[in-house]
Amino acid sequence: MSGGMIARAFRHRSFAIGAFLTGLVVLAALVSYVWTPWSATELVVPRKLRPPSGEHLFGTDHFGRDILSMIMVGARNSIVVGVVAVAIGCTAGTALGLLAAARRGWVEELVMRFSDFTFAFPAILSAIMITALLGPGTVNSILAIGIFNVPVFARLARGAAASIWARDFILAARAAGKGTTRITVEHVLPNILSIIIVQATIAFALAILAEAGLSYLGLGTQPPQPSWGRMLNDAQTFMYDAPYLAIFPGVAIAVAVLGLNLLGDGLRDLIDPRLARKR
Amino acid sequence: MTLLQVEDLTVALPTRRGWARAVRDLSFTLDRGQTLGLVGESGCGKSMTALALMGLLPEGARASGRIALDGEDLLMLDEPEMCRIRGNRVGMIFQEPMTALNPLQPIGRQVAEPLQLHRGVGRAEAEREAVRLLDRVGLPNAAQRAHAHPHQLSGGQRQRAMIAMALACEPDLLVADEPTTALDVTIQGQILDLVTELVDERGMALILITHDLGVIAETVDRVIVMYGGAGVEEAATDDLFAYRAHPYSQGLFAALPQIGLARGTRLEPIPGTVPELADMPDACTFVDRCPIAVGACRATPPPPLAVGPGHRARCIRLDEARRRSQG
Repeated sequence: MSGGMIARAFRHRSFAIGAFLTGLVVLAALVSYVWTPWSATELVVPRKLRPPSGEHLFGTDHFGRDILSMIMVGARNSIVVGVVAVAIGCTAGTALGLLAAARRGWVEELVMRFSDFTFAFPAILSAIMITALLGPGTVNSILAIGIFNVPVFARLARGAAASIWARDFILAARAAGKGTTRITVEHVLPNILSIIIVQATIAFALAILAEAGLSYLGLGTQPPQPSWGRMLNDAQTFMYDAPYLAIFPGVAIAVAVLGLNLLGDGLRDLIDPRLARKR
Repeated sequence: MTLLQVEDLTVALPTRRGWARAVRDLSFTLDRGQTLGLVGESGCGKSMTALALMGLLPEGARASGRIALDGEDLLMLDEPEMCRIRGNRVGMIFQEPMTALNPLQPIGRQVAEPLQLHRGVGRAEAEREAVRLLDRVGLPNAAQRAHAHPHQLSGGQRQRAMIAMALACEPDLLVADEPTTALDVTIQGQILDLVTELVDERGMALILITHDLGVIAETVDRVIVMYGGAGVEEAATDDLFAYRAHPYSQGLFAALPQIGLARGTRLEPIPGTVPELADMPDACTFVDRCPIAVGACRATPPPPLAVGPGHRARCIRLDEARRRSQG
């Protein structure tokens, strides 16, 4: 990224807001490795259900754990699950999509029917199915979310790659004697990368949401490891006595998802050099 | 041995109404240092001929006949073998320099790539050679421009880069598909001069595809006029401009505005429109629009008949056509 691009990026409103919100979540996660106001896992029953105060900024839960500390450690959890799951889905999906667009014929048919099949099940349902099959836990929820993302990226990559394959410069590259694999790596992939990156940002937001959903259902991250989804589930019981228990993790999820979506929108506008030139 | 020998090349495309022949029974030969023009309206099969030569026909298309490059039939080669020919022994220049370059790669890189691919030279060496090539095709400041992306160059500069790319491995045959159509008139001349100069300099053979008779007149030694996929007339450029034997060639030239015609002279359009490929008549493709067609014209495809030395036309009514052109 050149200096000019960075300056332009921060003039772009949704990118700037998105980057700020995402940065906040990432910062919370990073800081949690070295410091949290209180322990996020230690149970101190005598100080349970304290409302927000100077001592416990976001209050404490029914076991007396500090909510702010749990949210910070939970951010770490959400980010790890999101990054790994999206990496799995993005890599495998993009590879399949590129293969389908390059090979055409029955390979394309097979990849596309496979993703249609996967798409037929709602995301959360297939995630529940996979965790039910493999057992609950962080690793399995990563796998479930990752596998769900494969067809998303496969379809996107195939569609974008197919439109690149129809371009003149691909014909020119073939006329220069390049084979399918070289053209895919050197000409097709770089030209669809911006679309893939934008989709990855948005898939990251959805993955965080899915992880919260799975944890809420008790299928994701297991106690004592704090996670936003399970904090919401725990808060349900005390909804009327201690609403802040639900509000803070809810806001955390909203900030992360909103931030990543805005960031994705901003990236889409900024990353494409042809769009950028018009600004 | 002749460099390129095309015999009865036929390209069939699948359409909703069955197979349509985009190129039919096209034959010609070409030697090193010779230049050949393919001229005709859009849809006459000239671009399909070029793609068939490159082995880049659209998916599902079938080519039959023979395309022999130094005696080796290109139609019999598989894809990896064809990849070794393309860009190495046969280079191609495309019509749209705006879209025929990868927008994300610096042009020096794109010119260097065929060298790395076919000559096995290292990246640094290939890029040095690319700068030399860009300089040779007249790109000012080649060393700096090599780092420019296509959108930073003008149309003419991009076309120069395309030519450098096609010529990188010094191919024996250069196929130029409407290389100047997308350019300004002033640039057209420069690019054509450059192409002919390079062809002379390197002793390449050139196939120039165009709908522009002016470009043909300036650039090539020999012309094939195509209509409906068939090569209806073949002649040396001077002979063709002196006398057109085929009714279609006569019509094509009569429809051309000329300097020196009296004001108010009406151009003579060819009656009717080009039929869809699938509706193209089986025998003579021009029969439905031909002013002198008779029943026999619909019976069998007309054979190439001699008009003069090295001048042939696929028409069985050549005498009538001559009478009309003189009367």
